[in-house]
Amino acid sequence: MVDKQGEGARGQPATSAWSVPAGRRTDEWSKCVVRIAEHSDRAAFAKFFSHFAPLIKAFALSGSSLSAAHADELVQEVMLKVWQKAAGFNPEKAAASTWVYTIARNCRTDMFRRLQKFDTQLEAEDVGFELEGDEPTMALHASRGAVRVRELMSDLPQDQAQILAKVYMEGKSHSETAAELGLPLGTVKSRVRLAIQKLQVFMDAGSEE
Amino acid sequence: MVNHHPDTNTLLEFAASSLPAAQSVVVSTHLQFCSECRQRLAQLESLGATMFEDAEPVDINPSLFDNVLARLDEVQDDRAANDANASTMSWTVKQIRKGNLDELQWKKVTRSLRIADLGDIDGAAEFSLYHIAEGGSIPQHNHSGTEMTLVLQGGFSDESGSYHAGDFITREAGDIHAPTALPGGDCICLAVLESPLRFTRWHHRWLSPLLQLRAG
Repeated sequence: MVDKQGEGARGQPATSAWSVPAGRRTDEWSKCVVRIAEHSDRAAFAKFFSHFAPLIKAFALSGSSLSAAHADELVQEVMLKVWQKAAGFNPEKAAASTWVYTIARNCRTDMFRRLQKFDTQLEAEDVGFELEGDEPTMALHASRGAVRVRELMSDLPQDQAQILAKVYMEGKSHSETAAELGLPLGTVKSRVRLAIQKLQVFMDAGSEE
Repeated sequence: MVNHHPDTNTLLEFAASSLPAAQSVVVSTHLQFCSECRQRLAQLESLGATMFEDAEPVDINPSLFDNVLARLDEVQDDRAANDANASTMSWTVKQIRKGNLDELQWKKVTRSLRIADLGDIDGAAEFSLYHIAEGGSIPQHNHSGTEMTLVLQGGFSDESGSYHAGDFITREAGDIHAPTALPGGDCICLAVLESPLRFTRWHHRWLSPLLQLRAG
């Protein structure tokens, strides 16, 4: 997923997602964010940084979508937003990891925009949708989904996993993905739908299409 | 009750932030109407977060943390500066999301049709609001690109069905339709077109330049 192994992937056996229960991890990082919000706790911020900054950098470098210098800039921007937005985080409504992922995703889109990819002066937050978690079961379903998704991820055929990685980690549209892989757009679309079905992302999924 | 939704591919591109800006505005406005899609978005974002968490961590230069610490106190000032620089498009999008449609610049096109051109935006040949008077219609046209439409108010019907407030409709290139506002009130739609519309009836050809407000 990260093709910059040369940058130095570090061995952190304890952070292997497969061995640590998602619930406990979520709890730990959520507590950090709450302490940042309530006490401007720099120690909690340092702890949060040491875990998430390397993941944000990995996200930034996925598919070489950003240079190493821009990746570092992105890490700084995202962590500053974590500090700034911590008060808006509600641990009952979302996992801290999902919260920081959406910040990283928005910051990267804004950086793509600044770096040439788009012309319109708009920020990702202008056109995005901030889930309030107002539906009572939403966070529960989403986090339960994440546990199940991890179990199913390893069985996903390589061609589907590769496309999901391009779409999520590299931030590529379906048509960019199709062009890069030399596949028809329709094939990319149907592989994405198959992957979503296999991962049972939609828990109480009614109709898929 | 919303009956027509963005498909899985569109919602996933939105969740991964790879949908162009104009299409994202249409999807996010649909989300204001639709709790079902909000649930699906939460699940798709959670999948993205899972992949993010499972990425192979990449080493961070320790000086980066010091840089961030040194900047923690300047954050508030930055935010104030950003607000002052908010662009016209950012303002326009806010009016749509708040439903302040009268704030926008409307042009009368026919007796029953008014259009607000929302301006240049990434990913769109045309990004507009359509106001169709009760019982009025938009001349029959086909698309040379994908069109996404969201009904904001009232409803319309065309060859394939009837649509009401909150419904999200995708028309692929080549689909021909002539939307007519349903009885009971005016219909307002937000629409984004990938590339220009072409009218199929000769006597409406004069309309094309008006409707293709942003034909590239």
